[in-house]
Amino acid sequence: MDKLKIANKTFESRLLIGTGKFSSNQTMARAVEVSGTQIVTVALRRVDIANENDDMLAAIDRKKYLLLTNTSGARDAEEAVRLARLSRAATGIEWLKLEVTPDPYYLLPDPAETLKAAEILVKEGFVVLPYINADPVLAKRLEDVGTATVMPLASPIGSNQGIQTRASLEIIIEQSAVPVVVDAGLGLPSHAADAIEMGADAVLVNTAIATAKDPVKMAQAFKLAVEAAELAKDAQPREKIKAASASSPLTGFLRD
Amino acid sequence: MIQRVSFSEIIKQKGLDREWDIRRQKLDHIRPEDVERAIYERPGRYSTEKLAALISPAARDYLEQMAQAAAELTIQRFGKTITLYAPVYISSYCCNECLYCGFNRGNKIQRCRLSIGEVLKDADVIAKEGFRDILLVSSEDREFVTTDYIAKLSKKLREKFSSIAIEIYQLSRDEYAELFKAGVNGVTLYQETYNREVYRRYHRSGPKADYEKRLRGPEDIAAAGMREIGLGALLGLGDWRIETLGLAEHADYLMKHFWKSRVSFSFPRLRPAQDMDSGQFQMLTDTDLVQMMLALRLCFADAGLVLSTRESQQLRDRLVGLGITKISAGSKTNPGGYTDGTDTLEQFEVADTRMAADVAEALREKGYEPVWKDWDSAYTKI
Amino acid sequence: MAFLLINGEKKQFDALPENIAELLKHLDIDAATVVAELDGQIVQRQDFAKTKLIDNQKIELLRFVGGG
Repeated sequence: MDKLKIANKTFESRLLIGTGKFSSNQTMARAVEVSGTQIVTVALRRVDIANENDDMLAAIDRKKYLLLTNTSGARDAEEAVRLARLSRAATGIEWLKLEVTPDPYYLLPDPAETLKAAEILVKEGFVVLPYINADPVLAKRLEDVGTATVMPLASPIGSNQGIQTRASLEIIIEQSAVPVVVDAGLGLPSHAADAIEMGADAVLVNTAIATAKDPVKMAQAFKLAVEAAELAKDAQPREKIKAASASSPLTGFLRD
Repeated sequence: MIQRVSFSEIIKQKGLDREWDIRRQKLDHIRPEDVERAIYERPGRYSTEKLAALISPAARDYLEQMAQAAAELTIQRFGKTITLYAPVYISSYCCNECLYCGFNRGNKIQRCRLSIGEVLKDADVIAKEGFRDILLVSSEDREFVTTDYIAKLSKKLREKFSSIAIEIYQLSRDEYAELFKAGVNGVTLYQETYNREVYRRYHRSGPKADYEKRLRGPEDIAAAGMREIGLGALLGLGDWRIETLGLAEHADYLMKHFWKSRVSFSFPRLRPAQDMDSGQFQMLTDTDLVQMMLALRLCFADAGLVLSTRESQQLRDRLVGLGITKISAGSKTNPGGYTDGTDTLEQFEVADTRMAADVAEALREKGYEPVWKDWDSAYTKI
Repeated sequence: MAFLLINGEKKQFDALPENIAELLKHLDIDAATVVAELDGQIVQRQDFAKTKLIDNQKIELLRFVGGG
């Protein structure tokens, strides 16, 4: 496969890592390192005044990894835009994972608010990577608006169910003119490999790695799975052969 | 803001606008295994490699399998229906010098142009035959066939026709947008050939001689909001296999960047025209034509495949069922041809001369439903 | 008595910190790791010492945490 290209940057790795839910910053940093990733997501939260947390950002080498702030927590476009601006003011980085999830149970993304926020943020110069349900028309609408990728979910965040949105995902992959990053719900390395074999450009994994008994080992497993899938694609596998239905010949009339 | 890459850049990157002999060598090396894989690989979905395999010389031994797969795919997506349309020629005055065309400005022929009233008379004739889908055709007669003329004509035609498409000289994006507002819902614009050198050779002078400008046309059409975009190459000018690769890239580009428009392919095959020396062309055999259609159908499940009356009755009847979705019938390819039956020069010789009713009957006998009205512009907010 | 609404909670001060940098020192928060918003406006880190505080202003202090 050619290298992964998002906006004006090229990446060696097709595995993006989310940094939430890890038991410690050290484990997180080690897993990130072992995964071979070049893009990690982080979130913005209110400082807990009563407790002094250690600085998570210090654990991530910003020269090695592109920091992608996630607007998670935002319940509507206005909140997402606000978080985006805060993040850019803090880091100077214009890349953004746009996540607008008002639903607290399944954390499913709000399509209307996401589209609204994307339009505003793209105009303000952000490189927007929007998290969406696997809705092919929404994906094209976001592309029209100028997002750098689309990030359709495989299954709800943290559910580890793997690819439950296969049919729609196939359509998105077929129709998209921007890179497709399958994000959310990938629970096993084989799920990630599946996504790449289907034709996705990249995958984003968080819960499966962070909550595994041995996150560092799991990070390595995901890395190998994604690489295996890339190799497989390059090897051009043979498709299942469908037997032609026996009926009268259709081209028998050709004489030349 | 991320800039959209133009199709011109794409075709350059893919090397499909030049050095066709190199491309052809690659095609010649495609093996039977590659073809077998391609026939069943993701039916209806496109990739450069898949299409290359399907139009390779090696694929000629697999036409029957391709036909079976294409037939099934077409029925899945389109059912057993064929849309019928009729062309109405408006003017044969032209300021372009295209060597392959009977209306080439260099040809000394009797030219004809119709007033709006006269076009409406022709339109009346085809409406009585049942057509609700009309294609207005014209040479580059800018002074007379203005956008204003087309807009006025189109507003009148909407009273009787539910789909109005145009196949005229290239307009600007704004002009296409203006016509969209006036009720035109489709535009057919053939690149003629994607090979720069060949294009230059056959388009000697006039606005159409500009390859880049021509290439940009479909993007302008789509950006203007047109629902239907008709692509095509004049088959026989260059190597039809590489031409098909160019067509496919063009369609793929439009589908990715203008996802609301429907793309269709036409297959104008070079036929005898007055004052034309046929020896210089790379004419396609029937088998070549069939291979091209099947290859495109297997890569574009939802694209329209359009066949005009340039082709014979026998061939047309057989090709329905192999992926064709839209055909013309009872066509007259000279301005005023439906009403006054003059013998002004036709743009091309009509091979299938059956009346529309007979074509419709032939379709029914084959188990297909002729569809006269597929879209109604009353549904759009004009 | 002065008040500031910090992260949604009303906080009381005997003496209002002069500026944001002072406030962070008072709260024992490392300024380098924090993102600040005063009355809905983002304050750049280099302006923390320059941005004066007034009674009853609304402040949001955010920091980067792990996220998906």
